[in-house]
Amino acid sequence: MLKTVNQRISLVLIVVGIGYLILAFQLPSYAYVPVDADIVPITLGILLILLASCLYFSKDSETEEQKARRKIPKKDIGALLAVFSFIFVYILFLELMGFVLMTMLFIFFCSWFLGYKKHLSNALVSILFPLCMYGMFTEFLNISLPQGLWPF
Amino acid sequence: MGSLEGIIAGFQVAFSLEGLLFVMIGVFVGTFIGMMPGLGPISAIAVMIPITFGMDPAPALVMMAGVYYGAIFGGSTSSILLNAPGVSGAVATAFDGYPMAQQGKAGKALAIAAISSFIGGTVSVILLMLLAPMLSSVAISFGPPAYFALMLMGLTAISSLSEGSTIKALISAVAGFMIVTIGIDAQTGTQRFTFGNVNLLEGIDFLVIALGLFALAEVCTLIIKRKDLSQENAHKLGSMRLSKQDFKDMSGPVTRHSFLGFILGVLPGAGATIASFISYITEKKLSKNPEEFGKGSVKGLAAPETANNAATSGAFVPLLSLGIPGSGTTAVMLGAFLVLGVQPGPLLMTDRPEIFWGIIASMYIGNVFLLILNLPLIPYFAKILKIPRPLLISLVIMFSIIGVYAISFNTFDLYMLLLFGVVGFVMRLFSFPAPPFILAFILGGMMEQAFRQSLTISNGSLTVFVQDPIALTLLIVALLSFVFPLIRVIRSRRA
Repeated sequence: MLKTVNQRISLVLIVVGIGYLILAFQLPSYAYVPVDADIVPITLGILLILLASCLYFSKDSETEEQKARRKIPKKDIGALLAVFSFIFVYILFLELMGFVLMTMLFIFFCSWFLGYKKHLSNALVSILFPLCMYGMFTEFLNISLPQGLWPF
Repeated sequence: MGSLEGIIAGFQVAFSLEGLLFVMIGVFVGTFIGMMPGLGPISAIAVMIPITFGMDPAPALVMMAGVYYGAIFGGSTSSILLNAPGVSGAVATAFDGYPMAQQGKAGKALAIAAISSFIGGTVSVILLMLLAPMLSSVAISFGPPAYFALMLMGLTAISSLSEGSTIKALISAVAGFMIVTIGIDAQTGTQRFTFGNVNLLEGIDFLVIALGLFALAEVCTLIIKRKDLSQENAHKLGSMRLSKQDFKDMSGPVTRHSFLGFILGVLPGAGATIASFISYITEKKLSKNPEEFGKGSVKGLAAPETANNAATSGAFVPLLSLGIPGSGTTAVMLGAFLVLGVQPGPLLMTDRPEIFWGIIASMYIGNVFLLILNLPLIPYFAKILKIPRPLLISLVIMFSIIGVYAISFNTFDLYMLLLFGVVGFVMRLFSFPAPPFILAFILGGMMEQAFRQSLTISNGSLTVFVQDPIALTLLIVALLSFVFPLIRVIRSRRA
C-alpha cells in the first residue's frame, strides 16, 4: 500500500489535512456575518486532502539528482543534529547570557565543530563579528539586542 | 502632486547623498551575498531587512532594491567561476560562462556578464518607468473582487514555479496559505489555530518563514556539502578586455533579451529563472552556429545574463503598481515594504511618489554602480568564494537569528525559525519547492481579505466575482494560465 515515497508523504499530508480541518470546524461562527473566519481554513483543509490524494496516485516525477539529495551519510545527519542543538542552546541562553557572549561562543564552536581548524582566525571572527553587529544595532539602528551579562 | 513633480521627487531621493550611499551599499552587499554559494536573493533580502528598521522608508527601499539586483548579479559570478549558481536565475549563465572560465577566460566571461546585465537592467528600467504608472492608473479603479481575481492570477504562477511536480508545488502553496491563517482573524477577531499561545496571536512573521525556509534550509545543505572543495578550484581570472568581435557578438542577444526578459519578468511566476532559460534556448535556435553553445559562446552567456537582469526590473512592475508579487523573491521584497510601513499598489504612485519614483530612479544608478563598482572589484570579490564553509554556515545562522530577534524581541519566534528551518530542509529533501510556499504566505492573507470583503459587499453571493467585468476577465485568465500548463503536461505524457 505504501510502496513509493509519494504515497508515504501523501498519507502524512492527509493526516495533517484532517487535523487542520477538525480544528477549522471548531472555529466559532457568528450571526450576521456573511463570511465567517472558518470558510477559508475549511477550503484549505479540503484542498490539502484532495491534493495529497492526487499525490498518492501520481507517478514519481523526481529526477535522479533530486532523489540523491535524500541519501545523506550518517555522519552528516549527526552534524545536522549537532548544529541544530547548538542553535537551540544559542536561543535558550540568548537573553540570559546576552547576544555578544552567546554569539561569540556559537560562532567559534560551531565553526570548529564543522571542521574549521584555523583557531586564531576563527577566534578573531568570533570576537569581532558579534561586537560589530551589537554596536551597529544598538548604536546606529537603535535596536536593542539582549544585553545579558555583557557590561555595555 | 503631479506625476512630473513625483518623478522629480523620486530622482531627488535617488540622487541625494543618502540615496546614492544606500544604493551603493545595497548593490555591494547584494553582490556579496549573492556570490556566496547557496545564498540567493531571497536570503539576501531577508537578511538585510532588519538593517532597515527605523530607517526612512525611501532610502531603505532603494537599498533593498539594490540588494535584489545586486544578488542576481552576484549569483552569476559564482556560476561563472565555480559552476555553482547561487541563484536559480543564474543557472543558464553557467552553461557558457563556466566553459569560458575553464578556458582561462574567466575575466572576459565576467566582463560580458557585467555589461550584459548593465544593458538588460537599464533598458528594462526605462520600460518599467513607462509601464508601471500606466498599470497603476488602471488598477486604481479595482475593487476587492478584481483584487481577489488578480491575486488568484498571481497564485496560478505556482504551476510554473514547480521543479517538476505541479502537485507538490500546489501542496506547498496550500501549506503556506494554511500558516497565514494562524493568528487573530482581522475581520471577526476570532483566534485561529493559536492553541491559546499569546505569541501566536499576531500570526507568524514573514521573516521567520523567509529566513527559516530559505536561509536555514540552505545552511543544512551547506553543512552536508561542507567538505565540497569546489571553491578551491576557482579558475584564474585572465584578462577582462573584450575585443570588437565580442561586442559585435553581444549586440544582438543583448538587444533582444532586454525586451524579452522584461516581458517575462512582468508576467506572474515567470521571473529571472524562466527568462534566462527561454533566452538561452531562443538564442541557440536563432544562432547560425548552435554547436558553439555550451562550449563558451559569447552569445550563450550574454543572452541569459541580459534576460535575468531585465526580468528582475520587470518583476517590479506588478509589485509597485499592483502590490502583487509574482515570484518568491518579489514576495519577500513585498514583505520588506510592509515592514517599513509602505503598502505597494496603485496608490503608491500618488501617495508616496518619492518612494515609487525613488526606487525606479535608483535603479539607473544601481545599474551604473554594478558596472563601475563591480567590474574592477571582481578579482577581489572572487576571494569571497574562498570563505571557509564552516565559518560561512555559522555567520548565516547568526544573521538569521539577529534578523528575527530584531523584529519580535522574543525567543519564541527564534524557536519558530528553527522549526521552519527543519520544515524547509525536509521540503528540499522531498522536492517540494519553497517559493510557492512563501508566495502563498504573502498573497494568502491579502487574498482572504479581498475575498471576504467582496462577499461582504455582495452579502455572501459569489456572483460578485462574475458581475465585475475586470474580475471576470482576470479570473478567466487565471483559469487559462492554470489549465494550459496542465494540458501540456498531460499531452506530453501521452506522447
